[in-house]
Amino acid sequence: MNQWIAIGALGVMGVGIPIAMMVVSALLRPSVSEQGKTVVYESGEVPTGTAHVQFNIQYYMVALLFLVFDVETVLIFPWTLIYRSALEQGATLGQVLAPMLVFIGVLVVGLGWAWRNGAVEWIKSPRASRRKTERQS
Amino acid sequence: MTPLQTQLPTWTAVAPTLLLGLTALVLLLVDSIDPDSTRPGALAGIATLGSLATLAVAGWFLLAGTGQTGSGGAIELYGGSLVVDGLSLFFTVVVASVVAMVSLASYDYLRDRTYQAEFYSLVLLAATGMSLMGSSGSLATVFISLELASLPSYALVAFLKDNRGSVEAGLKYFLVGAVSSAVLTFGISLVYAATGSLLLADVASAVGSAGDLVGIAGVGIVMIAGGFAFKTASVPFHFWAPEAYEGAPAPISAFLSSASKAAGFAVAFRVFAVGFPLDAVVPMGIDWSLLFAILAVVTMTLGNFAAATQENVKRMLAYSSVGHAGYALIGLAALSGGGPNGNVMGASMAHLLVYGFMNTGAFLFIAMVEHWEVGRTFEDYNGLATRAPAACLAMTVFMFSLAGLPPFGGFLSKYALFYEAIQGGFWWLAAVGAINSALSLFYYSRVVKAMWIEDPTGEFDLGATPVGLYAAVMVAAVGTLLLLPAFGPVVETAQSAATALFA
Repeated sequence: MNQWIAIGALGVMGVGIPIAMMVVSALLRPSVSEQGKTVVYESGEVPTGTAHVQFNIQYYMVALLFLVFDVETVLIFPWTLIYRSALEQGATLGQVLAPMLVFIGVLVVGLGWAWRNGAVEWIKSPRASRRKTERQS
Repeated sequence: MTPLQTQLPTWTAVAPTLLLGLTALVLLLVDSIDPDSTRPGALAGIATLGSLATLAVAGWFLLAGTGQTGSGGAIELYGGSLVVDGLSLFFTVVVASVVAMVSLASYDYLRDRTYQAEFYSLVLLAATGMSLMGSSGSLATVFISLELASLPSYALVAFLKDNRGSVEAGLKYFLVGAVSSAVLTFGISLVYAATGSLLLADVASAVGSAGDLVGIAGVGIVMIAGGFAFKTASVPFHFWAPEAYEGAPAPISAFLSSASKAAGFAVAFRVFAVGFPLDAVVPMGIDWSLLFAILAVVTMTLGNFAAATQENVKRMLAYSSVGHAGYALIGLAALSGGGPNGNVMGASMAHLLVYGFMNTGAFLFIAMVEHWEVGRTFEDYNGLATRAPAACLAMTVFMFSLAGLPPFGGFLSKYALFYEAIQGGFWWLAAVGAINSALSLFYYSRVVKAMWIEDPTGEFDLGATPVGLYAAVMVAAVGTLLLLPAFGPVVETAQSAATALFA
């Protein structure tokens, strides 16, 4: 028997079961029309406005800076795990420490540049502050 | 001569690449000290000095024989994921010379613009990636270095962010780049699945015994070729090139069409010559040199025919750059098991070096014309020689050299390329190349005719002489001329570097 038949059967089952479940439950369940079921969040939270809003571009700057630290952590973790055993097996402190210091140094240069160029300063647009004063008055 | 690696620690073999990266960091530091002032002279100076230092070190290594057959063969670092040999040093020389000219020219081009430090550091970071592409010995480093070269390039193409053309070009370049990166990664993963290794040397030894997985290996190799076709602006991933080169700031067009293309060929040469040896893969039915032969013919024909129909000089040069990618592809196409492969590939490398000077020079001339605000079409160039004879003379040198006319560097490099292709038994590739060269003379000479023979339609108001741009254009012109007498040693170095790959 061709082994692709098994894969095809898996595909048919994977698509068929959810559809069958929805069809069967649609047939079996009682239809109680209630207003609460049609709202977006059944927990009762009433949404305001649409979902198509523009996020402030400054969030993207924060996300980019976050990536610096994120990637840094990913690469420091394995390094800390081998640090002690590398020293025990005769590597010099310089050999173990220097590459990581160089790596962090490169990231610090980038972070320092971003900091100095105002990437972490939150600038309020004139429109936003105007709207705030309108709401208060 | 004493081998260099006995005098210096082994890691210093990547010093040229490190110097490029270090220069980028220094530029960021300088900008961090006082972000509000621009200091155009200091920034352009640092970038130019850094790339000249790289050029000096890489040239010294190349002449001293570092990593070449004369002194102990290729230097492998980090478990073979970086390889320093003749090929990588040769292409570092190409990239560093282009970056030096582009940084020099950008001093004038960027006048009165903000974010200059970012511009130069992005150029140098991309150059770091390009020089790393030539030295990657593993498919993982291939991908990382290709991304390091690509990501700054996307930002640089969209550098003129108030200019619609520049932003549109950046977006198109980014989208096509993202797709081709995905294709490349998928190809790498398939090759890994078939061979069980990312190291090129291990891939080479395992690919012959792929057995049932030959189909997977074949698809993987074709996809990797697609990824490199993007970087070198060859068919079928060429259509970003005209948009990106036309919309980008002209120094960046020069940088991308010369250095980025050369780096793409560097990595393609190494991956295909070392990773997928023809002796092993052709009996399995994966004839990648035939694939590249088809791509070479289609790329050069399409590039040249499209260039002939353009009215905009910058766009014409962009299509001519696609055409030249087709010529350089002969270095991957005219190969056969046991043929004089090193000579063909070496001739292609030498052509890319000469192309680095003449094409950078041509785009920098466009940068100068943009700086003067003369206009973009052939008609706008009418009679330009009456006002700027020296610059127009340099442009004439670039145009005739690109067309392959003697007595310029481009003549010998094309001649060597076609000659070696014939020696390898691929006379038809050389014939298509020669026909295309003849066609290219038509549109290159249109620029020359407009500049020297046509009468000016109006008065030119050129203003002050842009010193940096002039100097960069002159350096490129002198380089193009000097590469004619110096072509012998250049092509010998390139051919011995390429032969070492096939050994």
